[in-house]
Amino acid sequence: MTHTHPKPLKMGIPIPNSKLGMWLFLGTEIMFFTAFIGTYIVLRMGSPGWPTDVHVTHILIEAGAVNTFVLILSSFFVVLAHDALLGQKFARAWQYTLWTLILGCLFLGIKSVEYYGKWEHDILPGHIPENDKQAMDKVVRKFGAIVDTRLAAAFPKIPKREDQKSELDSKIAELKVKKDATAADKKELAEAEALDRLFTEQVDLKEHVRANWSLAFPLAAFDQYRTMDDSNEEWKMKYAAWKAEHPDLKDLNEYLHDGKLGPVTLHEVNDRVEKLKEDEHLGPLLASLQPAHPILYGNLFASNYFLMTGFHAIHVIIGLFMFTLVLKKGSRLSLNDATFVENIGLYWHFVDLVWIFLFPLIYIV
Amino acid sequence: MSDHAHGAAHDDGHGGEFHSHFKSYFSVFVALCLFTLVSYAADKIQGLFPNRNVMTAIVLGIALCKALCVMLIFMHLKFERAWKYLLLAPTFILAATIPFALTPDIGSSYYTPTAPQILEHEAQEAQKAADKASGHHKSGHGDSEKKGSHH
Repeated sequence: MTHTHPKPLKMGIPIPNSKLGMWLFLGTEIMFFTAFIGTYIVLRMGSPGWPTDVHVTHILIEAGAVNTFVLILSSFFVVLAHDALLGQKFARAWQYTLWTLILGCLFLGIKSVEYYGKWEHDILPGHIPENDKQAMDKVVRKFGAIVDTRLAAAFPKIPKREDQKSELDSKIAELKVKKDATAADKKELAEAEALDRLFTEQVDLKEHVRANWSLAFPLAAFDQYRTMDDSNEEWKMKYAAWKAEHPDLKDLNEYLHDGKLGPVTLHEVNDRVEKLKEDEHLGPLLASLQPAHPILYGNLFASNYFLMTGFHAIHVIIGLFMFTLVLKKGSRLSLNDATFVENIGLYWHFVDLVWIFLFPLIYIV
Repeated sequence: MSDHAHGAAHDDGHGGEFHSHFKSYFSVFVALCLFTLVSYAADKIQGLFPNRNVMTAIVLGIALCKALCVMLIFMHLKFERAWKYLLLAPTFILAATIPFALTPDIGSSYYTPTAPQILEHEAQEAQKAADKASGHHKSGHGDSEKKGSHH
């Protein structure tokens, strides 16, 4: 006579509530990161010509590989910390946790080196020109900003740029004719003349880019060319007078190819920037001006890069904070903390997991 | 593998010594390092792959193996019960939905795309093809990508 007893009811899942809570949280985090990673994948699929050359994107694969190793090692240490805790080796568990924290900080250090490199090359969302025209506009804009800053610094009491320039002109005129010029005066004149040249060079570049005419065509000839009309006697007279004033310039027709002026090219503009940077007087003033190189889809790339790695770095920082909570316990660490350490370990493994996917997606593919 | 491995779960105090799982953790760690090295090597020998998609598939496959190692052993999922499926299945379904949902819109297009970058890319490709066909190097437009590579 056997009667089967109904099986006893099992209530809930056989893990602590905190562990279940952590897993549920990790589930949401998985969705959080796959949103960004999935978007990155889809955007890349739809973007033919996405930059893959690491010299263009300034991605250091070695840094990524080292970071991957650092995180894997820290994951290993955190699991050993939990293991040691369960084996009641509390001091060792504390040490493993400390090592995990140190490795996490190392990861952030390497990441910040990479971020600095990006900032240095202006690989930031919204800052990257994507074609030649945008690149030339960027050079002109940055150059203009340098000139504006220097003019404003030289004449802080004068608000308007045109007034600052006329003030500069009168200052130069004044210093040139000054009798008994001291060394300080000479230096001031040299600085003012350098600033004046800087202004002129920027205007030259700006007008060429605006008109889309090759840098080989001099700025002084712009007005003549714009009003050019060989059949008009009046213009011919004006042109003759202008030619007399500018004996060093060629005849207008000699600048034309097939009756037209050639367009300005990025190559020309960048060469001009390099040349100006080598100039004895202008070079020091133009230290922050760099030749611009367009990157197709560069802004999309930068946005995705910083979004994914930035959120990952934030998660690493949160993890490090949680490790300090464990480390704070010091010698009071006991078996009661096993679940806490396990949960923090789960979080840290998740952070490692995200990086395991980010590394090939960003650095290799 | 069961109860012994379960000893690594939260309560172990009852009955018996706790056995450290250092050896298994260490083997997984070594495996992860090897996988990372292989990924890094795959990047360095890129040219040897028939095309980029093959390399992508291999490298992402390696990443999946690493992820499984971490999830199953370090995160202990291999030794947990069926609740892990209940929890992770909806997560993964929702996670996979985003790329699938967005692909028809952004990843590919049914119509001729006219985004400025796509037009620029086509112009550059046409320029490269023209240069190749005519056999001489043109400076200026289309040079930008090449210029970008030596900063």
